[in-house]
Amino acid sequence: MADAPSDTRRRNKAARIARVQSLANGKIVPHEKTADLLGQVIEPGDILCLEGDNQKQADFLANQLASLDSLRDIHLVMSCITLPDHVALFKKGMVKQVDFCYAAPQGTAVAELLAAGQFPIGAIHTYNELYARYYIDLTPRVALIAAVQADRAGNLFLGANTEETPAIVEPTAFSDGVVIAQVNEIVDTLPRVDIPADQVDFVIQAPYPFHLTALFTRDPAAITDVQVLIAMMALRGIYAEYEVQSLNHGIGFNTAAIELLLPTYGEELGLKGKICKYWMVNPLPTMIPAIESGWVDTVFSVGGEVGMERYTAARSDIYFTGRDGSFHSNRPMGQLAGHYAVDMFVGASLQVDIHGNSSTVSKNRITGFGGAPNMGCQPAGRRHPSKAWLKAGREANPGPGSIPGRKLVVQIVETFQAGRVPTFVDSLDAQDPSIMSAMQGVPPIMIYGDDVTHLLTEEGLANLGACRTPEERTAAIRAVAGYTPVGLQRSAAETAALRARGIVKFPEDLGVSPAQANRGLLAAQDIKDLVRWSGGLYDPPSQFIDW
Amino acid sequence: MEKFQKSFPSAPLAWPSGKTWSLAGVVGSANLEVLMEPGAAADSAEFDVQTSFPGYQDSWLAALSDFSTHYALGGTKVTIHDQGAAPVVITMRLRQALDQLIHP
Repeated sequence: MADAPSDTRRRNKAARIARVQSLANGKIVPHEKTADLLGQVIEPGDILCLEGDNQKQADFLANQLASLDSLRDIHLVMSCITLPDHVALFKKGMVKQVDFCYAAPQGTAVAELLAAGQFPIGAIHTYNELYARYYIDLTPRVALIAAVQADRAGNLFLGANTEETPAIVEPTAFSDGVVIAQVNEIVDTLPRVDIPADQVDFVIQAPYPFHLTALFTRDPAAITDVQVLIAMMALRGIYAEYEVQSLNHGIGFNTAAIELLLPTYGEELGLKGKICKYWMVNPLPTMIPAIESGWVDTVFSVGGEVGMERYTAARSDIYFTGRDGSFHSNRPMGQLAGHYAVDMFVGASLQVDIHGNSSTVSKNRITGFGGAPNMGCQPAGRRHPSKAWLKAGREANPGPGSIPGRKLVVQIVETFQAGRVPTFVDSLDAQDPSIMSAMQGVPPIMIYGDDVTHLLTEEGLANLGACRTPEERTAAIRAVAGYTPVGLQRSAAETAALRARGIVKFPEDLGVSPAQANRGLLAAQDIKDLVRWSGGLYDPPSQFIDW
Repeated sequence: MEKFQKSFPSAPLAWPSGKTWSLAGVVGSANLEVLMEPGAAADSAEFDVQTSFPGYQDSWLAALSDFSTHYALGGTKVTIHDQGAAPVVITMRLRQALDQLIHP
């Protein structure tokens, strides 16, 4: 009966805690003893979760982990491989398997590790896919997380970047795993409790605050006339056409341009109050003018944004905040909201192939997915109707018995990237043999062409959702692919036929006047304008301040 | 520096009265200016291109040919001064110059 399921894990946890109890005063461990703590708590074969995503990092714990020499056989699970210390874990041979989502900041280093046989990939996931597996077959034995503050009992305040911490802690704590938190400071009273002390085993006040990237700040000064033209086409051809109420935006300059046109061009078109009321986006500084002009009802976020703390606290009607006004985010629930609850996802990409598949992978660089695929896809489990969902559904599914609705999945790209690199290609770099073999034969496609309803470029708008055959879809893509090699293969007759059916639309078909496409139409010209719009409540990070 | 001229068939444009030219863009880094004036045969558009970024004549001609087919600008002489504009800017500047004639 010795092997029958009982409470082995709980007893194993108690043994781990007992080994290191002498290092702690209650739950508090001095930062000098961190490496000792990690070395004794973590066991070979453990599934170890190291918190780090595209914004906040448990960087002190990562650094101390990387300083260990004897650790082996670790199954690492983490959403983003971001820091040099993450790469060091592989170089030291600690990791027997890694399951992750995104590696762009270390994409080249990861590709090198892979080539050297030092990067044993389990799989590359989307965010919610990985978090979901934390509750199924990748449940951590030890989780290393980051919080803003702890009290002496071990309750944690996560600040604006609540993000995915609860989704790491919950499955770990409730399966008798060990939760170790680095915090910026230990205080008597927390603004709010995000993680109860009951779920936390050890707290370390790190010698420096955890790293946080201002990932979602786009300087309006860098938006081009072309991006203004594309934004005008988007507003008329998609946002107004489908009366989109709820949406998610990516982080590119094209969507920033749309946000900054709402109070000007959008107002001129009489769209205020009719579109763009409910958002699932981080607190984007470029949304300040639209919010101040009364366009936006609510914004829910997967993370925070550096510098937006005072603004979001003062606009608690719009944002989700604690009772003291402190910003709250939740990455898994935000992604779920972006999947099921919004009518439209608008994203960008580096490459689009002739089937409409897109990817941000380039040769010799492993980037992974992040969250875009969770939102840039058709939610087959959606049942609630909306005007936009039903209209897109009618266009895509004319037959009886088909799914009645369709989410708007919009890809906005310019036909060329910087340096005259064509965006449109016959075959994605993601299908390079070196990448395909690392992915066990599954190409790392960010958004599938089958899921995309609209492809918008500076040339025009293609309604891929209304195409009837794969050949028709390729012709529609070529029609808006400009003077790339893919675009040059279009046939004028095919383009004309698609235009006659409204599948391909050019600016004049949308009522857009190109002469109006000018940066002057943006509600803010630069970061300083955003500060003015916010009434001085937005505190831009220093790298964005040039005055 | 590269220079070339080419005419393409294009449906006649009815020039708005009182309008003798239109201009979009500026000659500046990664930008171009497009000047449209009356002056070609009624059923063709005549292009005169000067670019500081040689080697892309095929792409230019493809874009100008499409533009002439797609829009009615017969009778128009189009002068383009390009200082290495990104390809994505070119059609937009052409459309902007024409738009000023159609919606003065």
